[in-house]
Amino acid sequence: MSNSKAIKNRIKSVKSTKKITKAMELVSASKMKRAVASTLASRLYAGYSWEILTSIAKNTENITNPLFNEREVNKILLVLITSNRGLCGAYNAQIIKKALNLLKQKDSKIQIDILSVGKRGDMAMRRVGKNVIASFFEIPDNTTLTDVVPIAKFLVDEYKTGGYDKVLIVYTDFISGLTQKPNIRQILPISKSSIKEALEDLLDKPEQKTDYLFEGDFNMLIETLAEKITRMQIYQMLLESNASEQSSRMVAMKNASEASGEMIDDLTLVFNKARQANITREISEISAGMASVG
Amino acid sequence: MSTKQLKLKIVTPERLVLEEVVDQVSLPTTLGEITVLPDHIPLITGLASGDVVAFANGEQIPMAVVGGFVEIKQNEKGETEVAVLADFAEHIAELSEEKIELAKARAEELRKKMEDKELVDFEHFEAELERSLTRVKIADKWRTRKYRK
Repeated sequence: MSNSKAIKNRIKSVKSTKKITKAMELVSASKMKRAVASTLASRLYAGYSWEILTSIAKNTENITNPLFNEREVNKILLVLITSNRGLCGAYNAQIIKKALNLLKQKDSKIQIDILSVGKRGDMAMRRVGKNVIASFFEIPDNTTLTDVVPIAKFLVDEYKTGGYDKVLIVYTDFISGLTQKPNIRQILPISKSSIKEALEDLLDKPEQKTDYLFEGDFNMLIETLAEKITRMQIYQMLLESNASEQSSRMVAMKNASEASGEMIDDLTLVFNKARQANITREISEISAGMASVG
Repeated sequence: MSTKQLKLKIVTPERLVLEEVVDQVSLPTTLGEITVLPDHIPLITGLASGDVVAFANGEQIPMAVVGGFVEIKQNEKGETEVAVLADFAEHIAELSEEKIELAKARAEELRKKMEDKELVDFEHFEAELERSLTRVKIADKWRTRKYRK
């Protein structure tokens, strides 16, 4: 009897777990939709700012702004975008693995420090004893550009003051609801090829030759543009990562719901068998008793 | 209509705020306000905080904007395109009384917070403050005027 009661309890608990995973699945599905929509919306702006940047670069040969100039690399700052919460499949594991691989490959003379966005990556990096210089955990799910300002400001300042010679970012590219790919990209110095890479899958515009008139302080214009583009890139990567996180959570939760459904079926079968065995035993006990009395 | 018109696009990182064919548009640039008419020469300039006012069919379409760039060019069809890349943009009609009150309160709160700020957050507050102040200012300016919703 105690056995069937235990099974009953188990079924109950699996059922409530299933309810939770189902709810999480639905929540992340709707969050993913929103994240994907804002990723797409931000691409237009990114396209335009790239267009302005290329036309500026074409019009003037030598941009002296430090944000564009490559220098000898001694210290690298690695920005790691992960989620704050777990239960999202291999999302965090994948990205952390990518970052660790990168850390291993680099030559030991170059010092690499970490800036973490999201608790998971922060924990993983501290565990392996990396120098984490700053952590940002307060990024909401519906990220706006203002949430990115502190991060971008921090990076640009560190780069400008010469604290770091290169800023790399590890994030997850949202390819589709089922595939997400961890990716590494250089943010600073702004290399033209990396921006082009970032945008080539989004826009395939033929190069336009327009001679623009520039109004205002040219260096100021370039400076603000460079900062905006940096910010924009970080923003986009956060959005991509967010979309990836939600979709991998959705898939993980879907699998969990399915698995718990199967478990409930199995347990119900075991429970019914136990119940039947119980009844059979009781009947045989009764009839045995009757036979001995009669 | 036979007269020339220009294409106006206002984009922010978050969304496409406005896309319309208009007769002319006035923009607050970093060097002062300019008005762009069709066949303007290609121009790139910084955008200051203030209001972008477009004219279409004799009606004014005001938008509150904060910071960014303006790009003016001719497209392949010979039409003039004006792209406004703002950090933030909103139609005046979206700035309801309630939102303005909220923005005012926010500006006050932020100003107080500015006094004991941390270095990294400073920029964030500054941007927020400017945004709130611009909203209030522009909303006040347009309160009594007529415009197309």
